[in-house]
Amino acid sequence: MTHHPGPAEVDASVNEAGEPGVKPPGSSGFLASWRARLRFLLAVLASRPLFAVGYIIVFAVILLAIFAPWIAPYHPEKANPTDYLQAPSWRHLLGTDQTGMDIFSRIIYAPRIDLTIAIGGTAISAIVGSLIGAVVGYYQEMGGTRSLAAGFIMRTADVLQAFPVFVFAIALVAIFGQSLQSIIAAIAFVNAPIYLRLMRSQVLSIRNMRYIEAAYVSGANDMNIMLRHVIPNSMAPILSQLSVNIGWSVLLTAALSFVGAGVEAPIPEWGSMIAMGFGNIITGQWWPSVFPGIALGVTVFGFALVGASVEVLADPARRRALAGTLREKKRPNAPSKQPAEAA
Amino acid sequence: MRVLRYIGRRMLFIVPQLVGIVLVSFLLVKMIPGDPAVMMVGPMASAETLAKLRTELGLDGSIMYQFWIYLTNLVQGDLGTSWQTTRPVLNDLFVRFPATLELITLSLLLALLIGIPLGVAAAYFRRSVVKKFSDYYGLLAGALPDFWLGMILIYFFYTIFQIAPAPLGRIGFAVMTPSPVTNFLIIDCILEGNWQALWSTLGHLILPVVTLGVITAGPILKMTQSTMERMLESDFIRYADMCGLPKSVVIRQAFRNSLPSIVTIVSVLYGFLVGGAVLVEIVFSWGGAGQYAVQGVLNADINPVLGFVLFSAVLSLIIYLIVDLIYFAIDPRIRG
Repeated sequence: MTHHPGPAEVDASVNEAGEPGVKPPGSSGFLASWRARLRFLLAVLASRPLFAVGYIIVFAVILLAIFAPWIAPYHPEKANPTDYLQAPSWRHLLGTDQTGMDIFSRIIYAPRIDLTIAIGGTAISAIVGSLIGAVVGYYQEMGGTRSLAAGFIMRTADVLQAFPVFVFAIALVAIFGQSLQSIIAAIAFVNAPIYLRLMRSQVLSIRNMRYIEAAYVSGANDMNIMLRHVIPNSMAPILSQLSVNIGWSVLLTAALSFVGAGVEAPIPEWGSMIAMGFGNIITGQWWPSVFPGIALGVTVFGFALVGASVEVLADPARRRALAGTLREKKRPNAPSKQPAEAA
Repeated sequence: MRVLRYIGRRMLFIVPQLVGIVLVSFLLVKMIPGDPAVMMVGPMASAETLAKLRTELGLDGSIMYQFWIYLTNLVQGDLGTSWQTTRPVLNDLFVRFPATLELITLSLLLALLIGIPLGVAAAYFRRSVVKKFSDYYGLLAGALPDFWLGMILIYFFYTIFQIAPAPLGRIGFAVMTPSPVTNFLIIDCILEGNWQALWSTLGHLILPVVTLGVITAGPILKMTQSTMERMLESDFIRYADMCGLPKSVVIRQAFRNSLPSIVTIVSVLYGFLVGGAVLVEIVFSWGGAGQYAVQGVLNADINPVLGFVLFSAVLSLIIYLIVDLIYFAIDPRIRG
């Protein structure tokens, strides 16, 4: 967590700009081409099957969201009152809920809403949060009105973060009105301080590096330094946060819908489906709530795994250690040249 | 002396922060559409009564004027009235906050009981089944929605096995509730010596506490494990190990040095759960503080929301103070 990649450590796959000057001196050519990267990724997935599971889950959920109309056997919002609360059977694979809607079809349609909200909210909060964080971190120690403004922004973030997350999110949805956009806005609002802080602390440690000084001396303006040097070199912790955050936002969306402040009833969404089945589970009909909960849990689990893999892959030291162990595995008899770094 | 000076300096920062929190939440809640006056008298009331009520509530002044009224009342200990319960918010919160605190304190204790031993074991036996298990546990606990887990537990232990009480509040209907002293039901029952009520209370606590505890153990487990791993690799622990100290002593030393980060995560979780337990509260009809606030937001009932935010802000400040004191106790470097 406290690892700050300096210029020498940030190699090709982190620095997307592809400047030839910032290759790590020790391992020239490591992960230089896209094909090498792909081969490396496959090797990692083969040795860490859990990561592969994560990618498969996320990929499958996205496919479901896209191809829902072709996969789902029934219309997700059409109730068939004669078929209410049917137990799982061949006709209704996962049963029907109290209004007679097919649960399997609704579960397949749900990621359309859930993922849109979660990915949209996370993307907005990451972009806005890290931009503000970069500016704050860059100007904080410059003195004068700039550091005053930076301090004010940080205190505001303090106050915003002092709110109980969930009540804050519900209040935001209540203010903006119950719509898709306002749920996205609420999630973006709640998450933004995380990125602000991450980026700020990252920039604070990077802005004193020699290469920033060099850029400044050679006449680059603040804007240029920030966009070309500071931000690209501060991205690693943000990237590893993204996927975990998407999963967490899916949970938050479901929770909002569960209390009735999120997506409204007939629209297929996991949280509201769980809420709808709440009355039934006490009387013994478990399927309306259990299946959407499993779908929700598996999805969040998948995003968490992808996040964990990004955390390893985005950290140059841990990635190189992993590459070392992979190489050792390939040649079990050869003496290991790579000192096995503890990841 | 150092402690006192430290607390004093802390207090200086607390007051402006509290005012900031109250101001932001006031503006926030005021932005929620919905007129409390209309909600109170219903849509059929005449314009006259409505106007009278609005003047009474101070709703016709400017926002800053209304905030000023709220602040002056607040200083006198008046948090306003909830139009839903028609009772002063302060009284409501004194009943509901202990309900939430009782729940989350016990849940955190359970989470510690699960998370710390697992975390320590996973850090020490790095290539074992325990490590695998705790890896999966951490990921799964972060992925499962707590409200869903609560419903599953209700299904198994109430609906199927019929050993748990109905998920309807903190105590059985047929049981004499103890007279409220602290509003922590366990404490009240013991004070009164009402063992039947205590039994019922504990029975009602089990499922929600297990729900929250199992989920909250995830982050505690992760934090314990990662800090312990770092400690076990550190030079002073390696030195202790090389000197031939018994394993139990080495582990104890490493654990003692991991305590600060465990205390930190526990305090963060405690602050989070005050509002974060609301979903489990709803599932078990707990009547807790979070539930009260959510009802307030959904029905444009301002005062309960503000009161809740204020209470939980003060509570988290108290927690942070306690945490600082604990740091003082466990970290000799701070004591100086």
